[in-house]
Amino acid sequence: MYAYDKYDHALVNARVEEFRDQVNRRVKGELTEEEFRPLRLMNGLYLQLHAYMLRVAVPYGTLNGTQMRKLAHIARKYDKGYGHFTTRQNIQYNWPKLSETPDILQELADVEMHAIQTSGNCIRNVTTDQFAGATADEVADPRPYAELIRQWSTFHPEFSFLPRKFKIAITGADIDRAAVKWHDIGLVVKKNDAGEIGFEVLVGGGMGRTPVIAKTIRDFLPEKDLLSYLEAILRVYNEQGRRDNKYKARIKILVDALGADEYARQTEEEWQKIKDQPIDFPAEEAARIKAYFAPPPLQVLSDDVPAVDELAKKNFLFAAWLQNNTNQHKVPGHVNVTISLKPHGGIPGDATAEQMDLVAALADEYSQGELRISHEQNLILPHVAKKDLPAIWTDLDEAGLGIPNAGLLTDIIACPGLDYCSLANARSIPLAQQLGKRFDDFKRLQDIGPLKIKISGCINSCGHHHAGHIGILGVDRKGEENYQLLLGGSGAEDASKAAILGPGFDENGIIDAVEKVVAVYLGEREEGEEFLATYRRVGPQVFKEAVYDAR
Amino acid sequence: MTLVNLTGIQAGDFSLLADDHSPEEGAAVAVPLSRLTDEGDDFFKVAGPVGAVLTTDTNHADLAPLMNKLAFVVVDFPAFGDGRGFSLAVRLRKDLGFKGEIRATGPVIPDQALFLLRAGFDTVEVADERAEAFKAALKRFDSFYQTDYTGQVSLAHARHKATEERKAS
Repeated sequence: MYAYDKYDHALVNARVEEFRDQVNRRVKGELTEEEFRPLRLMNGLYLQLHAYMLRVAVPYGTLNGTQMRKLAHIARKYDKGYGHFTTRQNIQYNWPKLSETPDILQELADVEMHAIQTSGNCIRNVTTDQFAGATADEVADPRPYAELIRQWSTFHPEFSFLPRKFKIAITGADIDRAAVKWHDIGLVVKKNDAGEIGFEVLVGGGMGRTPVIAKTIRDFLPEKDLLSYLEAILRVYNEQGRRDNKYKARIKILVDALGADEYARQTEEEWQKIKDQPIDFPAEEAARIKAYFAPPPLQVLSDDVPAVDELAKKNFLFAAWLQNNTNQHKVPGHVNVTISLKPHGGIPGDATAEQMDLVAALADEYSQGELRISHEQNLILPHVAKKDLPAIWTDLDEAGLGIPNAGLLTDIIACPGLDYCSLANARSIPLAQQLGKRFDDFKRLQDIGPLKIKISGCINSCGHHHAGHIGILGVDRKGEENYQLLLGGSGAEDASKAAILGPGFDENGIIDAVEKVVAVYLGEREEGEEFLATYRRVGPQVFKEAVYDAR
Repeated sequence: MTLVNLTGIQAGDFSLLADDHSPEEGAAVAVPLSRLTDEGDDFFKVAGPVGAVLTTDTNHADLAPLMNKLAFVVVDFPAFGDGRGFSLAVRLRKDLGFKGEIRATGPVIPDQALFLLRAGFDTVEVADERAEAFKAALKRFDSFYQTDYTGQVSLAHARHKATEERKAS
């Protein structure tokens, strides 16, 4: 993975000093809260319902064991002993003291981490496939490009005060695990007929109150032109994106107003003017950064490991974990392990300091010191030898991290909701907890198969309900929490928007409704057919009848 | 108000011309772009150095016909978060090749000092009590990830400068 050079260190350290000065001015009263607000936001510091919240960037979801141990240390020393991993592959601390935040940032800087641009109307942390560089279905590792974009977008002199926040996602695989079509810019690494690397470029995706799936504006952008082309896209947006209404300020609204063809034309026109300027990275820099992401030296091993098969035969939970929580690595005999942060009855994405320490130790022992965070709020050990799985699972299980539900119904994405967030209309976490309890039967979950439930506590859709196979949206109805049910969304390469099924429910009603939806699926499915495929085949009517007629 | 000089340019000494006034002969004046467009050449014949006051929503293409007549430009930010002003400065430098002074006015904040400088601004008019904070902010960082219009090359290039020079020789 990438390692800072003296320049990166100097920049991040200078940022810490700048923030320390800003906090001091605020604490002394030289800055009002109103003046301090934009400054703290640029460093990921929010004011939530009960306290400040600090969002720390995990660039493209990749970190090492030392960094994870630092996150654990921060949770222990400055917070209440836990942290929350987010759909943006970041981590949030919910209870830091304002006066201590500069010290937290310094501790992060010491291990090459920061909170830069994790909030504010700027280019945010670039996200990617949690299996990048480790999966068989990949054209190229997208992380070198994510790092190049991270550097280019950090303190950009022109694009740090955009109409609204701006999110870029990149994948290098056929299966889209990064939801690139739901981002302001989506990039798909491709190879052309000559074997050269380039990108399909999509713009204008987004969730919020107006869900839009991104549209392709260029089929193949040569690798060397990436940054100048991004600059052209951003300039068009910065100049023309709406600034009169924050709900219409995202690029998706501008792309819709102009039309994707016109957006492409204006981008192309702008790009022609700037593409030969020294905006793009020179080839030497691309090579320097790619070298950090060279594949680890894994031995080719047999995929056939008797000890693993034997444990799977004896232990149903291990067998389910093997099936759901591991996926094939590009090197035979290896897998990537998904550590579920979705214990039944727990808070999706939360991990204690002890759990973080354990995962860091496992990374050092079994996964080349490397870790990932997925946008589905789980942790990943990449590059694991299959023969090590029984030992890893035993350690994880003892720490409550061996839950075999990756990709299943209880692997729920949920936003913090009304328990923490000042924007929320309804609670999200308790719904995830209720669903975990209602479906707390791994044989049943295994039978139901892959099913993604995503819960947002308000229309801003941080819980990605638009992209849920089953989406739940919390709204305020005359002062009471009410939950809408949506079906048929997807965040993958077959991206689709979930549709509202009918009237909303109270907290208990929505759990019952999910159970009825699942029952319809089980009754209607054909051999081997997953939930989303069944829904797309049979349509909403049969679900609607089952959910509402019995009321 | 205090004028903070970002680039060390010889800052213009001019006054804002009221809407219903004509310029005195030879006077250095700043006037809204719309008036310059409406009155055309006659205005420039009377006045001395003339500058255009731009709102952040100005289309840079409207400035092209005036490029060899304007001595300076003032970009008036309605709010510090209106980032269009940064693109406008970039356009003036890059697309229009403007070499004169670009000044920022309005509620910009000290922490934007380097952003302003790097986008192409020369000077910024700030409240007196903020002048020191602006100057301090200019010294916060000394290397950058982007090539900009002050002649600063990106770190992506700077890291390999020796290699590039070898190639060139």
